[in-house]
Amino acid sequence: MADTKAVTIRTRKFTTNRLLSRKQFVIDVLHPGRPNVSKAELKEKLGRIYDVKDPNSIFVFKFKTHFGGGKSTGFGLIYDSVEIAKKYEPKYRLVRNGLDTKIEKSRKQMKERKNRSKKIRGVKKTKAGDAAKKKK
Amino acid sequence: MSEEGMEETNLSGSSDKIEREAPQLVTVLKDIKGGLDDLRAKVQVLTSKVKLGLYPTADGISYLEAKHLLLLNYCQSLVYYLLRKAKGLPIQGHPLVHSLLETRLFLEKIRPIDKKLQYQIQKLTRLTGNSMEDAVSDDKKPDATREADDSLKLRPNPDMLMNKVTPDDGDGKYRPPKIAPASMDESKSSRQERNVSRKEKQAFRQALQSEYARDLMNDLEGRPEEVRLPLLYLLFSVVREVVGTEDRDVTRYKAKMEERARREEELFTRAPLTSMEKKKLKHMRKSRNGLLGLADSFYDDIKSLPLEEGVGGQTASFMEDSNAGERKFKKHKVCNSYFFIRSLEGIRDLNSEATNKAA
Repeated sequence: MADTKAVTIRTRKFTTNRLLSRKQFVIDVLHPGRPNVSKAELKEKLGRIYDVKDPNSIFVFKFKTHFGGGKSTGFGLIYDSVEIAKKYEPKYRLVRNGLDTKIEKSRKQMKERKNRSKKIRGVKKTKAGDAAKKKK
Repeated sequence: MSEEGMEETNLSGSSDKIEREAPQLVTVLKDIKGGLDDLRAKVQVLTSKVKLGLYPTADGISYLEAKHLLLLNYCQSLVYYLLRKAKGLPIQGHPLVHSLLETRLFLEKIRPIDKKLQYQIQKLTRLTGNSMEDAVSDDKKPDATREADDSLKLRPNPDMLMNKVTPDDGDGKYRPPKIAPASMDESKSSRQERNVSRKEKQAFRQALQSEYARDLMNDLEGRPEEVRLPLLYLLFSVVREVVGTEDRDVTRYKAKMEERARREEELFTRAPLTSMEKKKLKHMRKSRNGLLGLADSFYDDIKSLPLEEGVGGQTASFMEDSNAGERKFKKHKVCNSYFFIRSLEGIRDLNSEATNKAA
């Protein structure tokens, strides 16, 4: 139902960044009456506008809605190919696009390990030490 | 010198002049011939010596080699120029002129390099001159000490430094010490001119902030137009300009935020809002909806009106309090809107009284 309202996308400050082989621009989204436009929808629309073969090489981020609603501004990048995107993009954005998986690190375990290794000085293997101390 | 003579020979139709200049020309030509003969003799001596191998000409200073080539080129072009002039051939479109100019330009350009290298070249030539003498006169001197001599002579000489802080200059006049480089102000505008130009720049900047200029900029950049209904319109059915309803602080805050947004867009990043900035944003959104600013200039209008005692008295006390310097009270300006509404009620009562009297 919310999709029936018109969403207008305008891109500003469009530059072609040959060094990182991508196109970067500022996106202005006008969505009167709607709370916010999802990133997936934005990617699909951008793909249509710029004739992008692989929608996975489009990245949109840092969207902020202006006061009063109806307008939001953010940034967008379109890479030449997914391989190049994997090379240059930060990990969290790749995870958002589904091109990478997040490694779940338990913070508690990491902190415990760090505190254990504080007691030992030098190149001694803390791993073996951990196991031994755990058994205790 | 000789070129003048040549040019004069080209002047056809003024035979008197030619007759007058002819003896001068003859003397000048004699000079040239003499000079060229000397030159030829010297050059022949040099070339014969070089052919014999007395002067090692390899591994010289490459800069000097280039300079020699340039000078040779220049001399050759000059000679050809003189030849053409002497034969009466035209020079106008000839590439000779171009090459002459080019060479001359190069020579002018390398003059500063020349000056900079002068000291070093002099040192080297003096050195080689000395060593030649030593080689001729004293062969017993061992090679090692000779080389040590040479290298020592090339070290910097602090005695040759010029004194920057010269107390006495001889004339008895005071000359300030030239320690730091001073730049010359080439514009040389007087104080009034500078003030005027500064005022003009200020006026220009202020004009850019006007609404007309902003509309123009929005048009040029292709930004979509924003129409926001002012709150007064909603309250009193009076259409006023959007800008007018916001008070000074809000407009300034908005300008700052817009500038910040512009920078963010340029750098393609977002700067996170600090907690102080978040507090200010919250304050701006919630308690200042553009309504507070109306109270700023409102008391000027209502001071003269005969309102209810309570409102008038309260306004008087409010003004006095603020004058006494309760800055915190004034800063949040929450109470301003309260007094504003009270005074509006006062006006409404006045109005109804007036209509009742009329009726």
